[in-house]
Amino acid sequence: MQETLQTLVGGLSLGAVYALVAMGFSLVYRTMGLVNFAHADIAMIGAYAASTFYLTSKMPFVVAMVVAIVVTGAIGLVIERVLRPLENKDFDLMLIGTIGFGIVLQAVAILIWGTTGRAVPSPVRSAPLDVFGVRVRTYDLLVMAVAAFAVIGLAWFLARTKRGAAMQAVAMDHEAATAVGINVGRSNALAFSIGAGLAALAGGLVGPMLYVDASLGGALGIKGFAAAMLGGFGSIPGAVVGGLAIGVLDSYAAGHFQGYSVLVTFLVFTAAIMIRPMGVFGERTVSRA
Amino acid sequence: MKIPSLLPGKRATAPAHAATLAVDDLSVHYGGVCAVRSIDFSIAPGESVGIIGANGAGKTSTLKALMGLVPRSGGRITLGERDLGKVPARDMVRHGIGYVPEGRHVFPGLPVEKNLLLGAYARRWDDETRATLAEVHELFPVLGEMGTRLAGALSGGQQQMLAIGRALMARPRILLLDEPSMGLSPKLVSGILDVLLRLREEGLSLLLVEQNAKLTFGATSHCLVMENGEVAMTGSAQELSRDERVRRIYLGL
Repeated sequence: MQETLQTLVGGLSLGAVYALVAMGFSLVYRTMGLVNFAHADIAMIGAYAASTFYLTSKMPFVVAMVVAIVVTGAIGLVIERVLRPLENKDFDLMLIGTIGFGIVLQAVAILIWGTTGRAVPSPVRSAPLDVFGVRVRTYDLLVMAVAAFAVIGLAWFLARTKRGAAMQAVAMDHEAATAVGINVGRSNALAFSIGAGLAALAGGLVGPMLYVDASLGGALGIKGFAAAMLGGFGSIPGAVVGGLAIGVLDSYAAGHFQGYSVLVTFLVFTAAIMIRPMGVFGERTVSRA
Repeated sequence: MKIPSLLPGKRATAPAHAATLAVDDLSVHYGGVCAVRSIDFSIAPGESVGIIGANGAGKTSTLKALMGLVPRSGGRITLGERDLGKVPARDMVRHGIGYVPEGRHVFPGLPVEKNLLLGAYARRWDDETRATLAEVHELFPVLGEMGTRLAGALSGGQQQMLAIGRALMARPRILLLDEPSMGLSPKLVSGILDVLLRLREEGLSLLLVEQNAKLTFGATSHCLVMENGEVAMTGSAQELSRDERVRRIYLGL
């Protein structure tokens, strides 16, 4: 029982990171109808940037994270601006463009930080807490708290602010959004940069949990993408549920199947998607003629 | 019944700063295909103009080109002294031009009230916006009752009311409506006509594009008949509704 709970706690904290990655995927998809394949590599750049500002520039971890988020948010803006002329013209090329940006970001990471990668020490040095016999790392708690804060913040932004409502309106109908005075390009740019910021948050948080190298994006991206699909692509609550589910599943598989853990995780994921292809939350919009 | 005032100026009078919207020599091409060929018309403050025509006559292209939603291949659009030719579509609303698109185009996944508020996106969301919202609710009570319902779950008629209400939230000086009667029952079309007449009475300028000639002649004072991208006939709604050819082709009489 204790072992199960231990696995659960570890899975939830990693799942919180996958949820952040999935939220970024979903936000851009929900707003632009586009899967940003560079998203995972933006998370990797975020991880590298946060670790560099933290370890090399000796900034406090929180400040390093904020700077990393700003840097990747700017990268998101650049990607959106470059791809904008293709919007409503060549969607396939836009999709391929995001893959291209992902490759460029990997190359840039290798150019700046090399191929060896780095281990990031936990910024929280205190001993693990003992909760009913389950040892909980304080850093895991921090990760879950930050992710929860980000989820609430994004949900509040979309539901309660004028810009958030406009962003959703753009996703639903470009033409009608334009007619009411919304700057569609600016709204998409904002979605892209928030998505990139979420990726950086995920990357920065996962640094002390995993090894940071140029392939980190692939590892994070595939799980985050699966999480977004499992929860229902485009759904923010779905991204959270999917992320936590993949995290816990991953943690159990790692504990019980070691070398085959990824295989087991994705077999279960495939079965779940075959049963419910639209994901847990799916598309909830009802349209009448 | 009290007519809600949805205009920036006084009721039943055109706003003091209103100006004539003039369309000169407007053309639209899609690739090599000409959809609209050199059409001219104008809408004076408080005037209501209708464009009727069959499917593919170029009515929607005219309206979209006026809004800047499709590229114009030629022509000039002015509002008083101001040239609107270079104004991007998203800023037309800031020049007092409201647009009700064909097929309603509400934001289906957002609640009715959020749809209405987004109509006032170009304005600050303040007490004045709340007052306009109350006026729209007065005009379309059903929108007030269904404020929290998702727009995509409304019936066609309710969505049409929402689309008109959303455009009115910007307090436009000129309202462009693209086939508001499409897919609606005769009773609902009659309700739409009542609303258009009220807005007209308040002094709002209207440009109504329709296949439903009866509705157009009822709601507007001056009409254009479009055929194959060109203006085939023009005249007062009364004159055209008495024209033998128009009666045969567009009124089925």
